[in-house]
Amino acid sequence: MKLLSIPGLAALATLAALLAGTAVTAAKADQLADIKARGKLICGTLGTAEPFSFQHPQTRQIVGYDVDICQKVADSLGVTLELKPIAVEARIPELTQGRVDILAANLGYTPERAQQIDFSYSYFVSQQKLMVTKESGITTLDKLAGKKVTALKGSSSEQGVRRLIPTAETVTFQDTSSAYLALVQDKVDAFCASELILVKLRQQSQAKTPMVVIEKSLFVEPWGLGLRRGETAFKDHVNGVLTKLASSGEIDTVFSKWLGAGTAFDIKRDFPIEEIKG
Amino acid sequence: MGYVFDLRGVLSGQYLDWFVIGVATTLALTCVAWCLAMAMGIILTLIRMIPLPPLGWFVALYVEYHRNVPLLVQILIWYFGVPSLLPRPARQWINAHHGEFLLAAIALGLASAAYIAEDIRSGIRSIPKAQYEAARSIGFGYLGAMGYVVLPQAMRIAIPPLINQTLLLFKNTSLAMAIGVGELTYRTREVESYTFKTFEAFAVATVIYLLISFGIMALGSYSDRRLKLETR
Repeated sequence: MKLLSIPGLAALATLAALLAGTAVTAAKADQLADIKARGKLICGTLGTAEPFSFQHPQTRQIVGYDVDICQKVADSLGVTLELKPIAVEARIPELTQGRVDILAANLGYTPERAQQIDFSYSYFVSQQKLMVTKESGITTLDKLAGKKVTALKGSSSEQGVRRLIPTAETVTFQDTSSAYLALVQDKVDAFCASELILVKLRQQSQAKTPMVVIEKSLFVEPWGLGLRRGETAFKDHVNGVLTKLASSGEIDTVFSKWLGAGTAFDIKRDFPIEEIKG
Repeated sequence: MGYVFDLRGVLSGQYLDWFVIGVATTLALTCVAWCLAMAMGIILTLIRMIPLPPLGWFVALYVEYHRNVPLLVQILIWYFGVPSLLPRPARQWINAHHGEFLLAAIALGLASAAYIAEDIRSGIRSIPKAQYEAARSIGFGYLGAMGYVVLPQAMRIAIPPLINQTLLLFKNTSLAMAIGVGELTYRTREVESYTFKTFEAFAVATVIYLLISFGIMALGSYSDRRLKLETR
């Protein structure tokens, strides 16, 4: 049996060259002008994270806090908004490869991410907490040393667990439901995620498997809109939009619509819209 | 801003360690699943040879289930479904002893066994029935005739398809990432999500997968040459 033929090698080399080529052409001149000329802002969003970006049960449209923020950016440019649903771990590649203009996708600030992309001013601040089963008897974060902790693949929660509970073993899953199921079935000892996700899960599981969300946050994480690096004009524009939303009080209207009184979350906005400092 | 292909970023420090752990896990998973698949494949073939219709139906059902249900679904059933049927102490034992690895090996092994059983059966069919009858007539029992006369020849004839199954099994171990087994694809995604060097991370994984696949193929063709039946 012959392992590799000369044409085979040549084909491999061509493929590699092609891939490298497409990566290079992804670079753009001025994004702000491009978007205006195109008449369309392409916003990458999760589509699976209530109340930030999720499918409305009746209209089947993707709606939420993230989506509204993106809409404001599109409105300010006088262009239409196109939403592109993306997976958690695909967020940054989709942006750097130019398939979306902007990310509004539960994107927490981390120094590693800030080396790849630019962050706008923070538009949300998330408390990263851990949920455990009531049965486990775990009540404090230090009890989790050496335990198995789950998080979503490629999420900042995963990196936070690694950084802050270094002795814990991380087991990551593709989606919230798998990670949650692993916790219910005792395959892992805790689930690290944004408090809002955990609160919702705890409500749903109250009857069958009582869960506890550990009071103390593992870490606090400001979320920004994700922008390609070096697009200064676009970044300034987006930050301008966010600042204006804050000064006009419009941000509170949007916030309370999705997260305020009358929603399942019932929280008040207690963070400023400002530059994220690493 | 052009794209700079830089392997150093993904092949140093902890990322290199992750790749090494990933390769080790992939190989371990392949080996455990392969042993289970071979054993189960042979057992299934032997059961099918017993002239008792319900046994034949059982094997047929087994093969059809494993060939027609997507492997990822089978893995998820084994990981999330099967343990909940077990008593609590057994469940706790599994959870404490890297259950994801064990259950992934079982799911992969049992699925491969269905294909392997078919390949061995084809091998057995190619051995003239007269050989089995001759063995029985000189005093071998069923197991003796199968074990000493028919199976050794059938297995040799089945080597090429079995190598194929081994390769498939090896590649299918990547599906185990869905249940949190830290094999090569899982580690690659981790490296990727930390370094954002997507192209580099997957390039490394591709080369590793290719090298191991070539290794399996080379080993296979070597044993095929060594063990080939002399054709008259």
